[in-house]
Amino acid sequence: MDYKTIMCDVLVVGAGGAGCRAAIEAASHNLDVIMLSKELLGKAHTAMAEGGYNVSLGNVDPDDNPETHFKDTIVGGNYLNNQKLAEVLVNEAPQRIFDLEDMGAVFDRTPEGKIAQRPFGKQSWRRTAYASDRTGSEIMVTLTEGVRKSSVRVFDEIFATKLLVTEGKIAGVCGVDLKYGDYIVFRAKSVVMATGGAGRIFQVTSNAQLDVGDGYGMAYEAGCDMIDMEMIQFHPTGMVKPESAKGKLVTEAVRGEGGILLNNKSERFMNRYYPEVMELAGRDQVARSIMTEVLEGRGSPDGGVYLSIAHLPRSIIEFRLESMIEQFEDTGVDIRDEPMQVSPTAHHFMGGIRIDEHAGTSIQGLFASGECTGGVHGGNRLGGNALADTQVFGAISGDSAAEYAKMAKHPGVNREEAIKEFTRLEAMLNRKEGVSPADARDELTKLMWEKVQIFRKEEDMQYAVKELRRIEKEVVPNIKVDVPLKRFNPGWHQAIEFVHMVTTARMVAEAAVIRKGSRGAHYRVDADPNDKGYYNIVIRKGKDGKMELKKEDLVITKITPP
Amino acid sequence: MAQIIKVKVHRYNPDTDDEPYFQDFDVEYEPGMTVLDVLLYIQDKFDSSLAFRWECRSGQCGSCAVRVNKTARIACRTKVQPNTDLVLEPLEKMPIIKDLVTDVSQVTFRIRRIRPYVARDKPVQHPEIIHAEEIEKLREIRKCIECSACISNCPIVHETWDYPGPMIIRQLARLELDPRDVEDRIAMAMNEMVYSCTTCKMCEDICPKNIKIPSLAVELLRAKAVEAGYPLASGQQGFVDQINVTGRSVPEKDTPLLKEIPNEEFLVDNPRGRVAFFTGCLIDYRMQDTGKALIEVLNRNHIDVIVPKEQWCCASPAFRTGDLKTAHDSAERVTEIFETMMEKYNLDTVVVACAGCGKTLREDHRPLIEEKRGTPPKFKVYDLAEYLLDVVGEENIVRPKGQIDLKITYHEPCHLGRGQGVVEQPIELLKMIPGVEYIDDPMKNRCCGAGGGLRAGQRELSQMIAKTRKEYIEATGADMVTTECPFCTIQLNDMMKDSDMKVRYIPDLLAESYKKGDE
Repeated sequence: MDYKTIMCDVLVVGAGGAGCRAAIEAASHNLDVIMLSKELLGKAHTAMAEGGYNVSLGNVDPDDNPETHFKDTIVGGNYLNNQKLAEVLVNEAPQRIFDLEDMGAVFDRTPEGKIAQRPFGKQSWRRTAYASDRTGSEIMVTLTEGVRKSSVRVFDEIFATKLLVTEGKIAGVCGVDLKYGDYIVFRAKSVVMATGGAGRIFQVTSNAQLDVGDGYGMAYEAGCDMIDMEMIQFHPTGMVKPESAKGKLVTEAVRGEGGILLNNKSERFMNRYYPEVMELAGRDQVARSIMTEVLEGRGSPDGGVYLSIAHLPRSIIEFRLESMIEQFEDTGVDIRDEPMQVSPTAHHFMGGIRIDEHAGTSIQGLFASGECTGGVHGGNRLGGNALADTQVFGAISGDSAAEYAKMAKHPGVNREEAIKEFTRLEAMLNRKEGVSPADARDELTKLMWEKVQIFRKEEDMQYAVKELRRIEKEVVPNIKVDVPLKRFNPGWHQAIEFVHMVTTARMVAEAAVIRKGSRGAHYRVDADPNDKGYYNIVIRKGKDGKMELKKEDLVITKITPP
Repeated sequence: MAQIIKVKVHRYNPDTDDEPYFQDFDVEYEPGMTVLDVLLYIQDKFDSSLAFRWECRSGQCGSCAVRVNKTARIACRTKVQPNTDLVLEPLEKMPIIKDLVTDVSQVTFRIRRIRPYVARDKPVQHPEIIHAEEIEKLREIRKCIECSACISNCPIVHETWDYPGPMIIRQLARLELDPRDVEDRIAMAMNEMVYSCTTCKMCEDICPKNIKIPSLAVELLRAKAVEAGYPLASGQQGFVDQINVTGRSVPEKDTPLLKEIPNEEFLVDNPRGRVAFFTGCLIDYRMQDTGKALIEVLNRNHIDVIVPKEQWCCASPAFRTGDLKTAHDSAERVTEIFETMMEKYNLDTVVVACAGCGKTLREDHRPLIEEKRGTPPKFKVYDLAEYLLDVVGEENIVRPKGQIDLKITYHEPCHLGRGQGVVEQPIELLKMIPGVEYIDDPMKNRCCGAGGGLRAGQRELSQMIAKTRKEYIEATGADMVTTECPFCTIQLNDMMKDSDMKVRYIPDLLAESYKKGDE
């Protein structure tokens, strides 16, 4: 099995908000940095984030401060957050948004010329900085400019498939060049994982096609501790129709700017569930409220509810929600006059690779940041905290990886292991019989959407776990690519991804089963009232290759759960 | 029965295929379907190895640009219609990796070459105070998602990579507009051949974010270049000087139309309407007969025509090349002349037969005058064909009767189609002429290469663009190409010098048919 080896000091896997930030940071240490991007540079899912970046600058509400941001984050996270990480998030968010401005970001302004801030769900103050409703795009464009200024070597359209670990230390990554199909081993002294989430394991999702959980799969297989994997945020407002647009994100900024939710009787139904905060309740709460309306027959004909912003002045909608106008115009709806139809969509993984305050993982030399990590957001992430997370922990992971690389040597690489990995990938192409990746994917995403969803119950999840174990045993080893080509072959890419999807889905389902009570985004209709749920579930791959799950105590610094 | 879309997809694997080829697929139409959905359908149902890029499906990442029936579009925001045919090809000018996936390294290289980031020369104090007005324009052109679609269909890039394409010129303007950036972006824009753009607005039409690249980037950078003291090309400067002295962009040769006509009134019995005729420089000084033809066509349709004897250039050459002083003076003067006519003759409509003038009056004068005095010019501006079809009305147009037995195609002037939204009307007029067999040119909206100061400033490049255009026109197999712009007519005449292809201005052809019909 032929492969080539490429050397660097620091390797960043992933080129979204966290990956770019990490790479820029690491490169500032006079090290050779490679950033692997599964897509072209600048196309990462971060660009789809719409609403904003939470930072307690107090530009609009002067009484805001990191302390309050911390409290909102912990309460919003249902007390499951690693409070050490949350403290870092709120304390460093201001400096990191200034970094973005230094690099050239253009955020919307207050009348005094400072960064403007708007209200978002479950926040005490107007805290969310924004650039219309294309904040993620603004940040991604800025980071792309930043990377182009830096010495970072970008390898785009490289699919990292496996972490190489030598004697407990990270040694590099196996990858496939998507363009031409070549196998490559990237050897590095330290590695940053910034691989994003896995919304794509659900049938209805706001996520880009590449968000399939590659990082979760690779980290788990390499022996990382994974935390809070059962905590999936379903964004309350995804598009309902047409079918092809199903799940596309309708930004929380619509509600932040004053949008109201209505059922088919034109009742503002949030009044029934969370009268104090109405539409700006937590994302999990709003999602459940919408689903209850739909399940009890008060939904729209297409299975959603109505979200209306039409009572606001057109100029405000046009200035602050320009992407939403465009997105709905494409489906023939003018949101300045008509309501949107919305229903929940799989949006964000609160869980992921367990990290410490220095973005370190349980493998030496391996660091991680962004959505692929767990602990910052606990049981539910506040809208606007994810972009802040990418920048704060992106920078920390880049810095830590650089500091580590300065002290480390390149560990040797286990070549047999690399060859074994490439042989596994090659086998998918050479199989004569087997399951097509598209069919396998459809089965998996449907299973997850139906059985491990917003309202969870024991028998559903038990069924999902049983099915996932079967899929892992029977389907995964038999995935067969229809056309045996290595040059830019999406069928092959999907086949490789499918394995990561199954591992990720299993972690989600297995963790969900052992959490018997309701907490955060994990809501059980058959909740055990005795399980208050104040613990984290940590997953790792056991020595025998079996998935081990155990409950661990929360990391608390300031706020004790009630 | 499900409706079917017939899709031809460009396939190519350079490892195994000597040549690219097209593969046909039948795709079941679903309401709301986009080109991306079509591609995903093919990938899932027929061939999982079909290579194309996509990520966000929301028009936010810019991965999925392909050519849809010859024009580059981002697939996820391009709707498909049932029972239509689709031809899907990779972006132009970029080497193919496989099927619809191209190698974008040239674009990446060109972006990096302009140091595409806010350059600073001192540490920043926080918080940095920037006022909303300072970033208003910047905010507009900042929406770019780098999909590269505009580069693919740019007629300049088609001829030469000396010009980096609209997307990259836009990034230069983005940086020039950023109060924080310290680099000399004007010098860079000059180095990147900012004067090569014909302002054909194809990029603006293609842009999924509707960024007005020609005005917000190209013309802005040119205006700043002029302000910084960069000289215009001598050909361009000649036009502009001429405007300031005579009110005409070209020197006088034969007796100008406005001097030739006995008075400014061309009235009819029982008029159904009255318009003022804005001749523009070329009709007045070079194409006098066309001017007369236009008056005749309007008169025959029972429209009073007022031709002010004192007219002034719209200053399109100055707007396009960045001489804002000349441009603004002319806008005021033109507005004044025609507002006076409005009062004197009790009319509210100005008809223009030059695409460039019409676009300038509508897109440049209007906002400028409004900004200066709070209200836009009081008159409405129409292209001749647009006026006949949309105001006089198809049912009221007096049909030309003279037979013209020719296969005729149409060249859509950029500043008429994309500049004024007049697309179908000239073709409708053509079709009214007895004997005319109209042949559609799928590339009819491709720039002829004359505009934006290019013909005057860089004749060689302008002719290269014209040569490409010529090939498309000839491929239609027509006997004659018609258009609705004097400047395009001149360029087309030049390009067809050694060809049997005849070139006509639509009002001329109409007048000819009317005359023939009288006999």
